Amino acid sequence: MPEVPQNAAYMVAAYVVAAVILLLYTVTLWLRGQKPPRFPPPPPAPRPPRS
Amino acid sequence: MSLVQKGRGITLVGLALLGGVYVRALAFTPVERLQGPAQKIYYLHVPAAIWTETAIIMVGLAGAFYLFLGDRRLDLFAQASAEVGTVFATIVLTTGPIWGKPIWGTWWTWDARLTSMLLLFFLYLGYLLMRGAVRDPALAARYGAVLGICGACLVPFIHFSVYFFPTLHPQPIVLKPSTPSLPGSMLTTFLSSFAVFTLLYVGFVTQRYAIGREKELGEAGSHA
Repeated sequence: MPEVPQNAAYMVAAYVVAAVILLLYTVTLWLRGQKPPRFPPPPPAPRPPRS
Repeated sequence: MSLVQKGRGITLVGLALLGGVYVRALAFTPVERLQGPAQKIYYLHVPAAIWTETAIIMVGLAGAFYLFLGDRRLDLFAQASAEVGTVFATIVLTTGPIWGKPIWGTWWTWDARLTSMLLLFFLYLGYLLMRGAVRDPALAARYGAVLGICGACLVPFIHFSVYFFPTLHPQPIVLKPSTPSLPGSMLTTFLSSFAVFTLLYVGFVTQRYAIGREKELGEAGSHA
């Protein structure tokens, strides 16, 4: 009966790489979703001149 | 609750469940006797590959409908699906060679399946670069639709390349006409992982679509 190959390091590497890619994309989307308000508030109206 | 928040919620649930899949795959799924622990890369690589291909089919379908209907929402969905497809393609093209090194003895070989998947990745990159480079939104949407349709046409070739050409890449053991060749516990892990990747695709695309929609509405508001 052949011995089971000892290659767990490759498995761990693949799982870490996949997790990093997914987490990085999640963070990227999160940051892109944190945009300032769509319409900036209008500037304050100028005071009417005193008569 | 806004669409972005809904997408975030789905994504967070997907990531939490992905943690569960990791635990199940690494600790509770038996080790394959001939390939050893590296075989467990399959539970990430294959669901990511299926969604890489499905995502470009979605881009192609949305693009084709956009060309007929001219609905901006279809184009926004296509952009979102292309971006998420690129992320999944990156997972496929990194986990694949990590599996290939201990099993085949090489990180990469230019066989039909690997080369066609790399071509799809470049097509995704080209799509995203084009979307950033073309300033006219209507023109970019039309170019994108054509690229998406071309990409969708590539998918059957990728899937069946292992039958048409002599390749190192294994033939499908789940997505094939006969019953899956995986033992029960391995099949359960694979299906759980596939379900989680489905959830992640939906969550990512929802968020990306909502961000694109907000951006468009913002630009329309600033031009008004």
